[in-house]
Amino acid sequence: MRKILGITALLIVVCVITSLASSSFLSAYNLENLIRRTALFGIISIGVAFVIVTGGIDLSIGSVVCLVGCGLPWLLTTHHWSVPTALAAVILVSVGIGLGHGLLITRLRLPPFVVTLCGLLLYRGIARGFTQDQTVGFGSEFKALRSLATGQIPLPFLSGFALPAPWIFLIAVAVLAAIFLNRTIYGRYLLALGRNEDAARYSGINTRRMIVLAYVISSTLAGLGGILFVLDVNSAQPVDFGNFYELYAIAAAVLGGCSLRGGEGTIVGVIVGAALMQVLRNMITLVTTHNNIEFAIIGAVILLGVIADELVKRYAARRRAARALAAEGAG
Amino acid sequence: MISVECASGFCQSPGIIPVKLTFQPIAIPLVLTLALSTLLTGCKPASDSAGGSGSGGGKKKIAFVSNGVASFWTIAGAGVKAAGEKFGVDAETLMPVEGISDQKRIIEDLVTRGIDGIAVSPIDPANQTDLLNRAAKRTHLITHDSDAPASDRELYIGMDNYSAGRLCGDLVREAMPKGGTVMLFIGRLEQDNAKRRRQGVIDAILGRPANPANYDAPGTILEGNGFKILGTLTDQFDRAKGKANAEDALAKYPDLGCMVGLFAYNPPLMLEALGQANKLGKVQVVAFDEDDATLEGIQKGHVHGTVVQNPYMYGFKSVEILSELAKGNASVIPASKFIDIPARQIRKATVDEFWTDLKAKTGAKK
Repeated sequence: MRKILGITALLIVVCVITSLASSSFLSAYNLENLIRRTALFGIISIGVAFVIVTGGIDLSIGSVVCLVGCGLPWLLTTHHWSVPTALAAVILVSVGIGLGHGLLITRLRLPPFVVTLCGLLLYRGIARGFTQDQTVGFGSEFKALRSLATGQIPLPFLSGFALPAPWIFLIAVAVLAAIFLNRTIYGRYLLALGRNEDAARYSGINTRRMIVLAYVISSTLAGLGGILFVLDVNSAQPVDFGNFYELYAIAAAVLGGCSLRGGEGTIVGVIVGAALMQVLRNMITLVTTHNNIEFAIIGAVILLGVIADELVKRYAARRRAARALAAEGAG
Repeated sequence: MISVECASGFCQSPGIIPVKLTFQPIAIPLVLTLALSTLLTGCKPASDSAGGSGSGGGKKKIAFVSNGVASFWTIAGAGVKAAGEKFGVDAETLMPVEGISDQKRIIEDLVTRGIDGIAVSPIDPANQTDLLNRAAKRTHLITHDSDAPASDRELYIGMDNYSAGRLCGDLVREAMPKGGTVMLFIGRLEQDNAKRRRQGVIDAILGRPANPANYDAPGTILEGNGFKILGTLTDQFDRAKGKANAEDALAKYPDLGCMVGLFAYNPPLMLEALGQANKLGKVQVVAFDEDDATLEGIQKGHVHGTVVQNPYMYGFKSVEILSELAKGNASVIPASKFIDIPARQIRKATVDEFWTDLKAKTGAKK
């Protein structure tokens, strides 16, 4: 928990500053938008967190979002598949992609960077192929299905504010992920192999199977994200749909305390990281009239936050060391 | 491509390598090289004569290069195909995926292949002059959709984006006779047609006299004529971001009067955002281009109107002109070096007729 204190503080500071600068920030409508966006990006970020925990990387997330996001409306509107079959198909494809990544990485011993980088090129290419670069969407149909992403759940004691449906998915995913990572033996295995894969293997953990599992979780959640993204936006162009989303996901995971060297990570932190990115983007539109410098501001704020976090940690560590030394001297 | 070169490096100096030990490792790249080179030579038509006009097959080859991937270009592609059949040329449509560097690669490869004519919509005309001039030396080069007046292109086919923008601005004034607040949404502002289109909208709304040389920075709030233009939001083609822009504008200005979407995909995203905020019909929407959702919005009364170009004619006319030029008939070039394919305003009264015609041209099933 201490690891995510810094990032949570940064999120709160950004929220307070934005709400002071713009009265619209805390409006129910804006909060609903922010919660929905955080949920969508949070889901794909939790996925990649599992891979990062093992010390790996998944660069194919944006392309999986694209493949699934284009594939679902394509199957439903062009090929008139039934909703359950189409959903099952895209989820199966997402699971299969992760399985493929995991097997290539563990059996052929290919570097994760290379395998998933090729995936990044491959899946977007496939989506562009079968859609023939056409924009796909649901038009004005599939309202019920789309309510999975656009729906709102009224809250009992709050009028004027309704919880966006994707938040339910995020919470479900987050609770399952947190239980898996922190309360099951397999979660321990994942963290252990992320710290030292050889040591984990010699102590009897089937590290290969755990790594495959991590990639399956990552691509499956990317697929779920892709489904929700396209249901929300209602239009997907295979050339740019989900472009760079792997970087948003990785950034959220790392901001949330996942070490790129593996072995560390918290699910709550990942959600806070995803929320920070979305609040920053929102802040730039609400407070300034210069949304072209958006990335510069996001980069600068995050960098400053990380620097401050690191300095505070070092200061705390030095004080602890000094105190320990003093205690030793006294004793 | 790289692997071919690098593997052929192996081939040049096999003597240095101890044969027995390294036979297997070099065998793999060798086989790959062979396979790849046969594949590549097999794929490409015999077009080694990179001279420009010479193509072996008899039929002239003409390429239509877009500035990105969009349904707009699919309609243009239909025109390219129809003209190719009519004038007996091999006409293909190419859409760059990754912006300007990809467009450069496509043009260079086409020239290398000995194409007989290229029609291109330059992404950044001011800085692509060199590339366009190099291509123009080797083949017939014309521009469409977005012009590059400083280059050696033989002519420009398209509409004047500034005038089209003014048509769009007129729709805004029509939708809001008493004036009010306006927010503009566009994919990106780097390209010339986007800049001119946006400026046309602004100048028409504010009631300024026509002057394409005007430029207002995107961050400034502009007032005049009873209107207040609050800003221009760009999304760099990220649709989730485009929708977020529309949502954020609605959050920032709860009493927003009108949203104007200037790239084909912007109006549908604005409609999504308005639908989720239960504000359909309460905020005026003025659009550009002819996305299905936009046309449906006009039918339902959620969109006041849209300004449409004629991408089908861009494609058709480009191929027609290039096939004539390739045959050596330079008389098709007008003195102004500009073939105007004017934009039109589509409102509720004309949307059905327009949509039926569009479907007929693109062969859409629905």
